[in-house]
Amino acid sequence: MSPEMLAYAQMAVSGGLMGLAYALVAYGFQLTYAAGKAVNFGQGELVMLGAFVGLTLTGTGLPYWASIAGATVAGAGLGLFVERAAVRLALRQHNEGWILLTIITGLFAVSAAENIWGREDKPYPTPWEDASIDLYGISVTWPELAIAGGALGVMLLIELAKRFTLTGIAVQAESADTDAAELCGIRSDAVTSLSWAVSGAAAAFAGTIIAPVTTVGPTMAAALTLKAFSVAVVAGLDSAIGLVLTGLFLGSAENLAGFILGSGWRETPGLVLLIMALAMRPQGIFGKKIIRKV
Amino acid sequence: MKPLRSVLALLVAASCSSTSFAADVVKIAITGPFSGGSAPMGISMRDGAKLAISQINQRGGILVGGKKMKIEVIERDDEGKNDRGALVAQEISSMNDVSAVIGTVNTGVAIMGDRNYVQKGLVKIITPAAGSASMTQWSKAGTADIPIFRFAAHDGIQSQMVVEQAIRIGARKVAIFHDDTNYGVSGRDDLLSRIREQGGRVNVVDIEKFAIGDKDMTGQLIKAKIAGAQAILIWGIGPELAAVASGKKKLGYNVPMIGGWTLSMSNFIDTAGPAGNGAMMPQTFIEDLSISRAKPFILAYRQAYRVNRIPSPVSAAQGYDAAMLLAEAIHEAGSVEPSRIKVALENLTGVVRGAIADWKKPWAKWSPANEESHEAFRRSYTVMGKVQDGKVVLANPSDRAVLERGTGK
Repeated sequence: MSPEMLAYAQMAVSGGLMGLAYALVAYGFQLTYAAGKAVNFGQGELVMLGAFVGLTLTGTGLPYWASIAGATVAGAGLGLFVERAAVRLALRQHNEGWILLTIITGLFAVSAAENIWGREDKPYPTPWEDASIDLYGISVTWPELAIAGGALGVMLLIELAKRFTLTGIAVQAESADTDAAELCGIRSDAVTSLSWAVSGAAAAFAGTIIAPVTTVGPTMAAALTLKAFSVAVVAGLDSAIGLVLTGLFLGSAENLAGFILGSGWRETPGLVLLIMALAMRPQGIFGKKIIRKV
Repeated sequence: MKPLRSVLALLVAASCSSTSFAADVVKIAITGPFSGGSAPMGISMRDGAKLAISQINQRGGILVGGKKMKIEVIERDDEGKNDRGALVAQEISSMNDVSAVIGTVNTGVAIMGDRNYVQKGLVKIITPAAGSASMTQWSKAGTADIPIFRFAAHDGIQSQMVVEQAIRIGARKVAIFHDDTNYGVSGRDDLLSRIREQGGRVNVVDIEKFAIGDKDMTGQLIKAKIAGAQAILIWGIGPELAAVASGKKKLGYNVPMIGGWTLSMSNFIDTAGPAGNGAMMPQTFIEDLSISRAKPFILAYRQAYRVNRIPSPVSAAQGYDAAMLLAEAIHEAGSVEPSRIKVALENLTGVVRGAIADWKKPWAKWSPANEESHEAFRRSYTVMGKVQDGKVVLANPSDRAVLERGTGK
């Protein structure tokens, strides 16, 4: 391959790996949307808090794996908290108050993080080998591979649980028809809470695998929420595979745009895709059109 | 009625004593980014200046017109943000009892804020940083007189040294990397004009830009690599510099990074880790206990703030020396009036023994045609530092003599 082609391939691969992180955060949107039709606009802040909790746990001498587990549990707790504090009441009253309330809890999270951990970006130590791997001339680092592996692994795990456990099936039932599910004896509040907990856990986990690449800081997730949101809207809110493909595509497109057009153009593909999806296919590329009979 | 009267008397007495007390202190404001990406510089500068001030206060204060006056410090965090910096400058210049200001790291903050001090005639010593644009703005505007002084190796000196170092290590093709702030853009322009002065001994094969907050620099680095750059000349701050260093490592692109002195910031050195080794930058001070001039300051700083390493040694030393020079000027002026302190700073007669040098008349009367009149540093006592295993050491061992001799002007 010529050096130029190799450069394009390098950019596409690095971007695609990072795109999987967007997909994982977007997956968190999908989870809460399925149960209760609400999403957490402060999802990125949960990613950030997860990374900080993980970093703090590593600082106490816990091994990397234990710190990830700890952060994931904390994320589940935070997800529950957001659902209780910001979402439940608004959903019961059938209003859209949760939009503003989740944004506000996100802002609180940023202020809290600034006060607890400070505003500086901090490196996140990992046990990975500190070298890059050469794949036919394309360099990939271990933390990047960890993002890919972690994101795909967690999504696969949750998807399997949704299909093959009783609780998972209950969540699907709730998502399909809340009233019918309640008639079958499924407690819809519990299912919603569970979805938010899993969504929070996924976000915090995402934080711990992204942080080694991006460093940890209170504003690390500001751009992430927007990108994950683009991925979720473009892919649609039903399909996990759709998220993965869209994430890969968006990540690569972003990097290539930055490379070819100049670094100032990095953010454009995400926004263009978002606008196009909203205009042409509001249910998302991989989404199912819901026909409401009136 | 009686108790009320006595309370009243007490109040009157108290207010009298507090006014007479206020007359016995010199108020100095210290401003800078004490949080955010530039914080290591701001905090080290503040702590260095406060170390000097506490030493002066321990000796009873500054002798002003036959009376010892203690120094009182007002601190303001500008967070490295331009708009915040403008607000801080407005606030301080509206206080009527402040004699002088020490501070500022970010060029944009100086450009947005300093006009308040100029209008008010309030003395400011810019340290530890704020690119040369913070001074050249006044000469460009042809301002006849300014109370702004600079105590930092200006970007002109720094870019000249960076280009010279690139030549010294044998790089003929270089790439310029810069961030998109005022600092980065003016650094790029300085580098380009210095390279032109070298008349073809170095060629710029690639110019790349990045934004504050960018974490992935692979794109820019690949372009530099394809263009065949043998060194990266870089102008940015800690976190993004670290992203460039780790990107270089990822791509296996082992060329040296040479840049502004921000490469000595702890948030570059710590975040980049081993990938930061070999990065070179101009330094006015090196935290090395074997340099006898530097030793007392290093020990005093480490003891006062309980650290094993100064977050930004250059900033700390410059903050310390700037406060010492200011105290000398207030003494020589015999007044806490900003206008008289300004004249004293331009005509300092005493020699101030600082952590960096023995300062002898560092500034001269302002001339809009020559902004060096209010610049304290010259090329001859700035050295090249190099990152090595988490700290900055001398890049060219022969420079040790510069730091030891260190007579400023």
